[in-house]
Amino acid sequence: MTSARAIELAALQQDLARAGYIAEPPLAAALLLMQDLQRPLLLEGDAGVGKTEVAKVLAEIRQTRLIRLQCYEGLDAHAAMYEWNYQRQLLAIKLLEHDERGLQQKEQDIFSERYLLKRPLLEAITGEQAPVLLIDEIDRADEAFEAYLLELLSDFQLSIPELGTVRATQRPWVVITSNGTRELSDALRRRCLYQYIDYPDYDKELAIVRKKAPEVALALAQQIVAFVQGVRRIELQKRPGIAETLDWTAALLRLDISRIDVDGAERILDTLSALIKTRDDRAAFPREVVARLAAAC
Amino acid sequence: MLNAMTPPLQALAVSRLAGFPTFLRANGFAVGGGDAVQVLRTAERVGVLDPQVLRISLQALLCGRADEWRRFPELFDAWFLPPNRWQRPQRRDAERGLSGEASGGAHDGSGERDDDSARPRRTASRDARLSSTDFRALTEREHALEIEALMRRFARQLKPIRLRRQRHARAGRQLDLPTTIRRSVASGGTPFRLAWRDRRRVRPRLVLLIDVSRSMALYSFFYLRLARALSAEWADVASFIFHTGITAVSQALHDPDPWRAQERLHLMAQGFGGGTRIGECLARFNREHAPRLVHARTAIVVMSDGYDTGDPQLLSQALAQLKRRARRIVWLNPLANQASYAPLSQGMQAALPHLDLLAPGGDLASIRAVLPQLIDALH
Repeated sequence: MTSARAIELAALQQDLARAGYIAEPPLAAALLLMQDLQRPLLLEGDAGVGKTEVAKVLAEIRQTRLIRLQCYEGLDAHAAMYEWNYQRQLLAIKLLEHDERGLQQKEQDIFSERYLLKRPLLEAITGEQAPVLLIDEIDRADEAFEAYLLELLSDFQLSIPELGTVRATQRPWVVITSNGTRELSDALRRRCLYQYIDYPDYDKELAIVRKKAPEVALALAQQIVAFVQGVRRIELQKRPGIAETLDWTAALLRLDISRIDVDGAERILDTLSALIKTRDDRAAFPREVVARLAAAC
Repeated sequence: MLNAMTPPLQALAVSRLAGFPTFLRANGFAVGGGDAVQVLRTAERVGVLDPQVLRISLQALLCGRADEWRRFPELFDAWFLPPNRWQRPQRRDAERGLSGEASGGAHDGSGERDDDSARPRRTASRDARLSSTDFRALTEREHALEIEALMRRFARQLKPIRLRRQRHARAGRQLDLPTTIRRSVASGGTPFRLAWRDRRRVRPRLVLLIDVSRSMALYSFFYLRLARALSAEWADVASFIFHTGITAVSQALHDPDPWRAQERLHLMAQGFGGGTRIGECLARFNREHAPRLVHARTAIVVMSDGYDTGDPQLLSQALAQLKRRARRIVWLNPLANQASYAPLSQGMQAALPHLDLLAPGGDLASIRAVLPQLIDALH
């Protein structure tokens, strides 16, 4: 039985595909729920499985702006929310020295919005149209910042002591990604919808390669995907993600390699740097292993 | 947009849906009572006719981490689909039994504390004796509670590592304008004295790898308590247990209820087979956890007796690799408390060249002797 929701789901999947993103039903369902429940979406998964891409494509199909906050260790409220433009304020103080106006007016002038630098979080809640707010790699920021963020995510308002409380004019679509370098707090997890994105299976990855690199012949695309899937089965420190698959595809195209086979193992070895990113992993790929993988394609 | 096709939810369906979060909680999910409302709202939006769509929607709503994500489909089927398997509900009963036991245990604990106040106060010498008693000998429940209190105190006494995001500095790369302006007040608004900012260094981290194989059974209980005490006091402690596999237990240790934490650990360790394969476990740690956990200000503490049934070559390799990432590797061996001990087992022989320190770890006093220095080395 197809329910109305299933039809909605399929339509969203098609929209996503048109924007260049192959999404499985669970992700599409989560994106629909985001709209229904107005909750942020937390995406987890290994590096290179396309987490950040979800936010980009969501902005595209909702036809809205993408505001990105890249987290890093030591990220603080000033860099994420707002900061006064001290340089301009200092200048203004000097310029106002010989001004006739009263003290209060001068002060109001100095702490007006003209001197406020909007950082991503403030920008996301003050826009005309609800943007997509991407909080990328939140696990890199520390717990203190996470707690700070919770406040924003629950009330969608920020308080600036000199200006007062800024309420959200529109609720942004919040997408949070995490690579798992740190365990996130339960409080944050409970406020979000959750989606674990795994490495794609053969069919999905083939669809992605076909979508992103339409100039590749079907036979080669199939071989490429089969090879990469084989590489992922080997125990590596850093398994190749989708981005690596696409890089490698580009490398093969550039070198005019049109078939992956045992005879071409030498040439494949030359291109592996697009797929394998650490020295130890590289050591796991002598010529014989590559030949074996190529033969299996 | 409300789905016009969806018939009003029947009372039966409502109670089934509303009971689902409770069922998940019984299975270890971090969901709360309020989630029932969200489940009903979701079901109203999504409709209940298509189980597939309902499942993936509820999965997004109720899961919070990767392991929950993986277990969800099975639990969903067990709860909503016609009775194909009833293992889950049985297990639920079993868990209820456990939690009943747990609360009973907690009562026992408080009862003992009451007794305690009637007794003469514990003396320092008694504490000292307790902390130098080999963990093996501490079999009585009362001792276990006391040593735990000692561990907590010890963890609290460790020099705390406090770090600001950015330090104020005499000279630095970035001007600290808020402070500069504050200082300029004294000179009538002219910034004579500049303040600078400097970036802080990476926060030190402690990684505990605890052997829970059978030969360690008498010690691992205490090591886990120690891990719990340390991670309660310190922001950055990551704990793992291993014997034939390796599992992260930081989350379980953070469980506010100590008895439930113990149960959770017990369940985690159950999946492992017999024997100890330290090398394999460390190799897996290197592969799966080290890249994100271990940095140049990380100290790794292995707590194991070194009886390795795996390949010593592998152990040696794994430690060498770990050594390249970490600041310090310390091995606490409970057997080393015995005067006659020599690190002759194959595992210890393989490990020794890569360790910064092999220290006895059989009692609290010997751990006390090692940890503060280790932490100093991280500063």
